[in-house]
Amino acid sequence: MEQVIKFELGRLNAHLPVKRISLKSALSASRPAVQGKNGNLHYFKREELKLLSKLLPESEWDKLQLPILIALESKLGRGAARISGEIEAKVIGKILQREATDNEIIVYRPELALIRRKLPTTTQYMFVW
Amino acid sequence: MAAAFTSSPNRMELMKVRKRLALAEKGHDLLKDKMDALVMELFNTLKTIQKSRATAIEQLRKGYEAVSACMAVMGTFETMQAAEETKKEIQIEISERNIMGIEVPTVEIEETERNALTRGYSLHTTSSHLDTAAREMERAVKLLVELAELEVTALTLARELERTKRRVNALEYILIPRLQGAMNFIMMRLDEMERENFTRLKRIKAILEERE
Amino acid sequence: MSYKIAVIGDPETVIGFSLAGVSHTHVYRDKNKALGQLEEFLNNREIGLILITHRVVESLGPEFHQVVRKKGLIPLVLKIPDKTGYSPEKDELSDLVRRSVGIEIPVKTEGE
Repeated sequence: MEQVIKFELGRLNAHLPVKRISLKSALSASRPAVQGKNGNLHYFKREELKLLSKLLPESEWDKLQLPILIALESKLGRGAARISGEIEAKVIGKILQREATDNEIIVYRPELALIRRKLPTTTQYMFVW
Repeated sequence: MAAAFTSSPNRMELMKVRKRLALAEKGHDLLKDKMDALVMELFNTLKTIQKSRATAIEQLRKGYEAVSACMAVMGTFETMQAAEETKKEIQIEISERNIMGIEVPTVEIEETERNALTRGYSLHTTSSHLDTAAREMERAVKLLVELAELEVTALTLARELERTKRRVNALEYILIPRLQGAMNFIMMRLDEMERENFTRLKRIKAILEERE
Repeated sequence: MSYKIAVIGDPETVIGFSLAGVSHTHVYRDKNKALGQLEEFLNNREIGLILITHRVVESLGPEFHQVVRKKGLIPLVLKIPDKTGYSPEKDELSDLVRRSVGIEIPVKTEGE
């Protein structure tokens, strides 16, 4: 049983990218994707890239790292998540129509649902414990 | 039951069991978080499926109607001929994307709508009903492709949710109670042994005192 | 990766999708031929999506699910209505969701 737990916990974050790519790179690639630590590829949908590019001035396109990571942290409690990074928090703030502070933004369950609906491939969950 | 867990009730064992319990409880919390997120993803996908299904099915209905109308005007055989002459070039791009470690498909399709000149059938021998039928069906295909991606995603998420639920339940109802039981058992035995020791020492002390 | 689309259904369904540019088609005549063709489509690496009508799925019985279960993620399989608009009451997706989430979530919309 405990082997199973260790396996499942390992699996939780194995998909996270080895290296993220900027919005700018993604826009110019023909099949934009990142590779997970487990070797699997994760492709971004073009319409999401377009949406993100509309939310930011072109000068910031090379600063936005994709995928945007949504951190589920045990200390935040259930129902809340954190997005870190100046540009990342800024763009999420724009979608939620509220300000990010200190280069991060904490989002709550209904907002999380909205973000995931608008950006299903350009955001990813990250478990922190 | 708890005794079967431990070789001998001592402090080392207690420490080991405590560690295992902590791991199990941590695992339980994290997997519960994963379950929450999966439920939300599934809800999101299902909401989108509702809309997508409605539009796709409506467009497909229009397509079938147009095909029927075409067959009525041009004749079944002639329509079939034209269908055979049409170029069969539709392609879809299927790649993977990842939701919390779960692989789901992501599908892109180029513009499916063509125009009467480029489809491949001769314009002389066919009626405009054919063009309409082809166009409506081309639109339907695009919507169906999007729907297929969503449905497969939803199915995959639902299956993963079931698996995760089973793990959470196994932790909550089997492993954690067992470990807690083992821990309590060891602590109780350690207590007992300390008391036995204590009374034994008291007796020895009394005997020694008597001798003096 | 690029893939093609396949469709299995009655003659009119197949004509419709051929007109749209679908390359691989099979008109349903009898159960065994259809199952054979379905397996061929499933094993054909060029095919990424199989469209199949609800009526044909029902005609194929439990063998349909046995055959489809064996495959991996690709090709995607989508059940569609034919020109009669028929789709069954029982919906695999609704059932699975109800089992896993534990409550009823409407997946079918009005009039389906």
